[in-house]
Amino acid sequence: MALLEATGISKRFGGIVALDDVSVVIDPGEAVGLVGPNGAGKTTLFDCINGVRHFDAGEIRFEGRRIDRLAVYERARLGIGRTFQRLELFAGMSPRDHLMVAERVHRADGRFWKDLIGRGRAESTVARVEELLVELRLSDVADDPIESLSQGHGRLVELGRALVQDPRLLLLDEPSSGLDTRETASFASVLLEVRANRRTAMLLVEHDLDLVRRVVERTYVLDFGKLIASGIVDEVLAEPGVRRAYLGDLT
Amino acid sequence: MTEFLSYAIPGLPYGCVFALMAVGLVLTYQTSGVFNLAYGAQAYTSALIFYVCVNAGWPTWAAFLAAVVVVAPLLGLAMDRFLYRFIRSAPVLVKLVSALGMLIAIPSMLQLVFGNQQRLAPPSLWLPPGSVYFHVAGDAINGTELSTVIVTLAVVLLLSLMSHFTQIGLRMRAMAESPRMVQLAGVNSERVGVAIWVLSSFLAGLAGVLLAPLFADLQALNFTDLLVAAIAAAALGSLTSLPLAFWGGIGLGVVQELLGGYLPSGTVLSSGLRPALPFIVLLGLLLALPGLRERWFHTDPLAGCDPPPPPIAATIGGYGLQGLMRVGGWVVLAVFFVSCLTWMPANWTFTLTQGLAFSIVFLSIVLLTGMSGQISLCQASFAGIGAFTCAQLATHFGISVLLGILAGGAVAALVGVVVALPALRLGGLALALATLAFGLLADNIGFQYSWSGNGVSGVSIPRPQLGSLSFASGKAFFVLAFVALIACAGVVFAIRRGTTGRELAAMRGSELAAASIGVNLAKLKISVFAVAAALAGVGGALYGSLQGTVSPNDFNSLLSLVFMVVVVTTGVYSVEGAIEAGMAYVILYQVLDYLPSQWRNLFPILFGLGAVTYALHPEGIVEWQKRRVIERVSAWRKLPQVVG
Repeated sequence: MALLEATGISKRFGGIVALDDVSVVIDPGEAVGLVGPNGAGKTTLFDCINGVRHFDAGEIRFEGRRIDRLAVYERARLGIGRTFQRLELFAGMSPRDHLMVAERVHRADGRFWKDLIGRGRAESTVARVEELLVELRLSDVADDPIESLSQGHGRLVELGRALVQDPRLLLLDEPSSGLDTRETASFASVLLEVRANRRTAMLLVEHDLDLVRRVVERTYVLDFGKLIASGIVDEVLAEPGVRRAYLGDLT
Repeated sequence: MTEFLSYAIPGLPYGCVFALMAVGLVLTYQTSGVFNLAYGAQAYTSALIFYVCVNAGWPTWAAFLAAVVVVAPLLGLAMDRFLYRFIRSAPVLVKLVSALGMLIAIPSMLQLVFGNQQRLAPPSLWLPPGSVYFHVAGDAINGTELSTVIVTLAVVLLLSLMSHFTQIGLRMRAMAESPRMVQLAGVNSERVGVAIWVLSSFLAGLAGVLLAPLFADLQALNFTDLLVAAIAAAALGSLTSLPLAFWGGIGLGVVQELLGGYLPSGTVLSSGLRPALPFIVLLGLLLALPGLRERWFHTDPLAGCDPPPPPIAATIGGYGLQGLMRVGGWVVLAVFFVSCLTWMPANWTFTLTQGLAFSIVFLSIVLLTGMSGQISLCQASFAGIGAFTCAQLATHFGISVLLGILAGGAVAALVGVVVALPALRLGGLALALATLAFGLLADNIGFQYSWSGNGVSGVSIPRPQLGSLSFASGKAFFVLAFVALIACAGVVFAIRRGTTGRELAAMRGSELAAASIGVNLAKLKISVFAVAAALAGVGGALYGSLQGTVSPNDFNSLLSLVFMVVVVTTGVYSVEGAIEAGMAYVILYQVLDYLPSQWRNLFPILFGLGAVTYALHPEGIVEWQKRRVIERVSAWRKLPQVVG
């Protein structure tokens, strides 16, 4: 059974068709790319999958179960983690706090009354968070205020925040945007390590095609809200339609 | 039809004033991103200066020049240059609190300068108020009404001509789109911005001078209500359209008078609904128009180039600081407790006990605003709900006051849940205004019934009794309030330290990301609103029992604004901040009581101006000073080590 099955997703904003009958399938443990020029509808598709946006037509199944009507937090608890193209970090919190809160929410030991009697804390949380901080090479900055970190560290914190919840599907929205080549390379190596360690399924939106090639097994191509190709990365990118979408009409 | 017209026409002058204000409000909001809540205070300033000048024997035209053409634009300009200019890209809370600070400080400053006395029969701008010019549908149109309508129409006509046929008008319209893009197009957007502030402040001054003679006397409160009416009118224009805001204002004024005419007279509903109409309209619009909710987050298309807001120093804090402060805090608390029970004079024990009750109310603001990032401007109303519930239960059902205080908290929590339901979809400024509207509704309608706050006469709450243990004496009640505060502070501490506290901090940081990691925002917001309302309710009930008698005026919606400003000034991010705020609030009040009555205006001025510093020190003045002291101490202690 496929992990994620999005069928016939359509979404319009007024007169603009952001997604037009888009279908995407991801199997458990599979890393899939989603590429396309700016404005193709990639982030909108992400928003539809994790529930930030409602869509007009189509259905989404996660592990065979319809999830269209579930709230964002319910989908997160089912195992859909995501990062954001424009960083969405918790102001005033350190990287460690970011992972800690995600871990606690995941364990759902945050019952209100437990807090009131002071029993809302579990020790095992700390060990898991420490491990992840090491894996993501964030130990050195673990207690710095998030505002003082670089974009690259911010991307890693977002990744860690999603990973600490043991997601079965990870939606990565342009993790290399705003990073320089060195930061991108180091992000890629962390990402590959994460892939090797835990076989989490991924859907990766990315403009850096090198990064896409290194991480994913196959890719979808979106253009103006339509799926125009899918398959092995290099084959897909060689297709004339895809080249036209990316580079414009050369004739 | 004649009846309809005879009710509708007296509404036109009010409508005109609302419309002028709404237009000015939309103008500055669109171009600077600052929702200028101090706009009502600007209108009041001009009205007061006009009054003072006319009474000093100046000719009307000279008074008009001074009040509306000189002072009003200067005041607006000063506010923009010295305050708003620096916070255009700041978080909503910073903008809101700074504007609130000005709203509270400005009227008091004026009263400090010109005196507190009642000012009867404000003068008319142009035509004499006594003479009747003609009759429409049986309504006698007097000079005040006629001049208000004529002046408004003339100004609006000029305004629209200017915006469509002049260079500066074109630039202003472009500024509404994006100040940065205007700058990129080679226009000095700062200069256009100045022009807009001058213009909108002129409109506020004009509206103030026109509104004043429609009331029997000149009161700052009328101008706060005017502000809310203008906000509702602006909301009718989706905060973007000047013509719609204008017609919204006119419509609001007319409908208000129609309601007054058609509703059966002599009931709370008829006397309350008419003044409450703008709040109802505002609340309804906020809840009904999804587009409007998003528009409260007015963003420049180029806002992405703004730097992120600075981190809040207090939450990062040094560990040494926190440890030392904790020990110091306990020592101060112990000294305070023993002092109140031993040598403190009775009137000061009473004052400090009030402070304890206020601290509990202020804890609700720390929990809601500091820890969760939700701006509620109706915490005084929740305190009122707690007090009135306790009073009604004690006097009519003979329920013990101690239980009544808890029940007060519980009922306030229930109402808090009801208020939180719309809050689920609102955020930032929209939530602030919706809660403000709720507070004003409670003032005008909710608290006026005999089964709730019993209007002006109020209700009485006896001191509590537990078995043979009586809390009637000042010292016994002090101990009770002290224990209650420790318990309430304990609740907030527990929430903060537990998972919920972290979830709240995450929600404050980014609602989108919090939901994406599995935080149930709806449940979290409802819980935090309920707990905060319960805290306010308990504090209010305690305060009521201490005073013996409380009336709706003790919990009016303006107090909610003052509460917010006070807590933000001392420190909204920490539990201690609430206690410091509570104590500062009552101690300052008591100290100013020794001075001549005019100097009591210093109270709102100090806190109002204090709130303006929030932009610089979001952790609060007291917390910031504590940090500085500790930093100095630690620097001084480290010195020998460095040398050695």
